[in-house]
Amino acid sequence: MTTVAAVNDPATNAPATSGRSARRLILPGAAVAALTLLTSCAKDAPQDTFQPKGENARDINNLQRWPFIIAGIVLVIVSAAVLFCVFKFRDRGEKAMPKQTHGKPALEIALTILPAVILLGIGIPTVNTLFRLAKTSDTQCVINVTGQQWWWEYDYPVQDGCGGIAQPIVTSGQIVIPAGQHVLLKIASRDVIHSFWIPALNGKKDAVPGRVHTLRLEADQPGIFAGQCTEFCGLSHAYMRMEAVALDAAGFETWKANQLEPYASPTDPAAKTGESTFLTQCSRCHQVNGILNADGDPVISRPDQYVYSGAAPNLTNLMTRTDFAGASFDLLTEECKDKLWNAKPADFSALYLQGVTPECFDAVNLREWLRDAPGKKPMYTSTNDLGPTDGKTRGMPNLNLSEDQIDQIISFLTERK
Amino acid sequence: MFTTGSKLFLGATVLSFAGTLIYGASQDGGPVGTLGLFTVTVVFAFLTGINFYVRDSNVSAMDTDGIESSPAARVAPARSMWPLIGGAGVAVVPVGLIAGKAIVWVAVIVILIATVEWMVQSWSEGASGDLAYNRDIRRRILHPLELPLLGAVGLGLIIFSFSRIMLRLPSAAGAIVFGGIAAGVLLFGSLIATKRTVARSLVGALCTIGALGLVGAGVASAVAGSRHVEKHEIPSFEEGTCGADTSGESDEDTSRAIAAKSNLAATITLEHGELHAQVTGVPGDLDTVTLPRSTDSFIRFRNKDDGKYRLVVNLGKEVVDPKADTPTYREVKECTQAIGEGGSQFIIIKAAVPSPTDPNAPADEQFSFTVPGVDTAVLRIVVP
Repeated sequence: MTTVAAVNDPATNAPATSGRSARRLILPGAAVAALTLLTSCAKDAPQDTFQPKGENARDINNLQRWPFIIAGIVLVIVSAAVLFCVFKFRDRGEKAMPKQTHGKPALEIALTILPAVILLGIGIPTVNTLFRLAKTSDTQCVINVTGQQWWWEYDYPVQDGCGGIAQPIVTSGQIVIPAGQHVLLKIASRDVIHSFWIPALNGKKDAVPGRVHTLRLEADQPGIFAGQCTEFCGLSHAYMRMEAVALDAAGFETWKANQLEPYASPTDPAAKTGESTFLTQCSRCHQVNGILNADGDPVISRPDQYVYSGAAPNLTNLMTRTDFAGASFDLLTEECKDKLWNAKPADFSALYLQGVTPECFDAVNLREWLRDAPGKKPMYTSTNDLGPTDGKTRGMPNLNLSEDQIDQIISFLTERK
Repeated sequence: MFTTGSKLFLGATVLSFAGTLIYGASQDGGPVGTLGLFTVTVVFAFLTGINFYVRDSNVSAMDTDGIESSPAARVAPARSMWPLIGGAGVAVVPVGLIAGKAIVWVAVIVILIATVEWMVQSWSEGASGDLAYNRDIRRRILHPLELPLLGAVGLGLIIFSFSRIMLRLPSAAGAIVFGGIAAGVLLFGSLIATKRTVARSLVGALCTIGALGLVGAGVASAVAGSRHVEKHEIPSFEEGTCGADTSGESDEDTSRAIAAKSNLAATITLEHGELHAQVTGVPGDLDTVTLPRSTDSFIRFRNKDDGKYRLVVNLGKEVVDPKADTPTYREVKECTQAIGEGGSQFIIIKAAVPSPTDPNAPADEQFSFTVPGVDTAVLRIVVP
């Protein structure tokens, strides 16, 4: 940093070097401003709030546009007026007191009415939009969304909406919705406060334990839209992501039917062994609908006995989702993921419904996860710190699986489609 | 060189420091205990320094005049009652240990008060050779503590006495008696206000008599016990379906009632002998209600039928002891209280396990809402 010695100009009694130092600051200042502006030009920004892909997000975007423009104009006018006054009425060393004025009713009235009019102009559409975003009467599909450390569960209740659901569907990480329909999310939490946010489809909504908050969600066209928990909720808050997947009507029906397919025990020997390993190692917490134990009885997981939140992701159709563990780790190779995320709306549903194909399956993340889940996604600082959680873990513990067991479980899970 | 006091504190410093080292080493560096002991060490070291510096506040042995005229050498101006009170407190402690914990707490508080009062009194009496100054300095230190405490105790006594008397008197008589007392206080106050020459001693005496009477009556009422209160019995079908403890659950959770109103998972209505469910966002009545697993769900039960009915939530069965060789099961049920026509009540449900996926599973395995006494009132619950 350059230090400029202040030498007073005898004529103006002002520091002679102040003009030069101000000029020196112009270039770095402009560079910082330009860089700040350039950040808004990011091409790969899936959580950009200014690119709405649905009616609700568009309402919000439309609402913010005019106030920002008006605020910008007000900022320029006020800044110019302040600068003008500062420059024109600066201290020139006169001894005499400047002329004092008291009151200017016309100006004061104008300066009261003008902001009032501006605020009214912003307030009316704001209130109107708030009511529109809170509307539930036009719902066409209801989905329960439950947050817990650090993933989201989605269950589709029995209803006539969503094209008719006779048996509930449970999934996690990726919420699948029918494109073009008014979907109503009923958001709750099992442990601490979270916040559900898919920027392209709507604003944020907190998930609060003991409360149910509603949020409308609608996507214009099929596609996949990224989101992020926006309420700090613990160690792995940054890994609590979510994705909304919008499918066309036929695709959504196919997806529903697939989710309710009866369980079929694996025929492949490796996967069959994996089924046994899954039953001994994983089924205490993770539900696979329809899976039977050695006695032929249905296995019901009891995550409420092992996990603080009382829930663990349902893995019945794991490979219909393209990521896992709070939508944080991909099951697809980079190439396949790019293909899916950049698919045209017309092609998207068919591509997504393929699920994780053997060609696209990238086992690295899943393998690392099974090897040491807390190492991949921090869940507790130490297993010695489980006192406040009554001995239950937050998230998945390290099960100390052998490499053979990991292979077996992966073989079993790859058939969960 | 070292004075008696500083030797004492020096010894304490060394001991507590040794204790810090031993505790820190033996407890694997437990931070709280080690830090606490170290703090004690620092405090003792500080006291050692002060005592050493002021030579135990003793008058120099060479100052013979000072020895005779020092405040500490003077006879105390009055006897202190605090040792007596403290001793009484100590004597009451064993009584409390036998009779009840509350008495022990009262005794401990008395001991603490006596200790503080005695310490400050002793210190203030030796603070200077001026008795008036000594009294004043005691007042300045203790009055900010004594006055609020005495005020709180006095107020507490009055409230306690009032409440005991009210509970003792018949409910109708209570209003009359306290109306009379309030009128008497108003009259008494008015008389004093109009007759300004009334003697302060007379007012003080009357107030004291009134206060003593109130406290006396309160203690007598407390000893006599409260009047008999009729328990509000609710006759209903299958009283005790959920057991005495759980049947009132929704009432015990009234603090959550406001939250429940704005967070309803479903409204279940009994009408014409049938149950109907309404869920936000879902048009029309439902014959199946889906509730999330391991999450609190707020349910409102409304009775539109003639008679008192309760809603029973059947959540299947659970194993009583998972470690037992032969598993035994118990039914998981939650109930509202029985409510009359037009009434409504909330209940909070948290289902730990999923419901049977097969809608044709046996009825006793299904999750459902039912109304005892109304066989046609059944609604299926699904927990995914």
